[in-house]
Amino acid sequence: MNQLVTSAIILARTDYGEADRILTLLTPDYGKLSLLAKGVRRVKSKLAGGIELFSVSDITFIKGRGGVGTLVSTRLVKHYEHIVADLERTMLGYELLKRLNKVTEDQPESEYFDLLRGLFEALDDDEVPLAVVRFWFAAQLLTLGGHMPNLRTEAGGNRLEAGRTYDFDFDRTAFRAAEPGREGRFTADHIKLLRLVFSGGSPKLLSKVAALGTLLPACDELVRHLTVVIPS
Amino acid sequence: MSNVLLIEPNVVLAGTYMQALQHAGYTAVHARGAQEAVDAADATRPDVVVLELQLSGHSGVEFLHEFRSYGEWQTVPVIVNTHLSAQAIAAVQPALNSELGVHMCLYKPRTSLQQLLGAINQTLAAV
Repeated sequence: MNQLVTSAIILARTDYGEADRILTLLTPDYGKLSLLAKGVRRVKSKLAGGIELFSVSDITFIKGRGGVGTLVSTRLVKHYEHIVADLERTMLGYELLKRLNKVTEDQPESEYFDLLRGLFEALDDDEVPLAVVRFWFAAQLLTLGGHMPNLRTEAGGNRLEAGRTYDFDFDRTAFRAAEPGREGRFTADHIKLLRLVFSGGSPKLLSKVAALGTLLPACDELVRHLTVVIPS
Repeated sequence: MSNVLLIEPNVVLAGTYMQALQHAGYTAVHARGAQEAVDAADATRPDVVVLELQLSGHSGVEFLHEFRSYGEWQTVPVIVNTHLSAQAIAAVQPALNSELGVHMCLYKPRTSLQQLLGAINQTLAAV
């Protein structure tokens, strides 16, 4: 039987029978895999070595006929140890892993593996605020799902102008100019921040944006709303 | 007789807790870390877990996620007895309760042995 080798990140672990575990893994080469890890329950490896969460591992596996393959070996490549040293970062990590597991029910693109690795790097860096990690992650999920908002032109087709303020039209997933005599919720700086996050700017970069604390609430609310309106 | 799994990295403190638990009629097993606790749970089938969140190596939260990922341990009540203040765990406590089945959180420096035993009694009586 052919043994295959790839990088992998564990999304979830569930028990299978008395002694085995089924691991759900995301890989850049084979998408999402369900692999049987035999005997894991009865040896001291439940939380150890290459089957840890918040890690990237090299794995060897055999493809199965019924969709569940068999894990042959693992080698830990990188463990993001600072994540688990902080309660809030750990909890957010679990929450976002669960969300990613849910949105990648169908065969995902390799970009999801890169997203997850980026997420771990951001969570591992205690200079990146958790609000930024959450905002960035939600925006990347929207982008990968093909639901990026229009950040270049208004709903009517005119280019967005630096001197004007805008509100967001959720039906058309685009900005519209604020009504005369009224300030819109989004300024040019808000839109720059949104362009940065939707163009794949890293959480570290986002965390260095001037006046982030002022800009983030409205942008985050917009992204959250889009996530609800357009399920990934 | 109920089994208590005590997960406590401080060996001296754990010794005091173990004595109190045994004196109160419980069978108790002590684990210093998360992996040791999973192994102990496999061996002893605990009725209740008393957990410090700050452990060396894997954290208490990692233990909880691992513990709850096994079918037979999903309903075992867990009492968090931690030296982290209520303020320090405020942001994560709702998720600890709702997603990880933590029955109560005690602030260790202000929790007497009697209060801990009371919490264990109360938790076991409720399940």
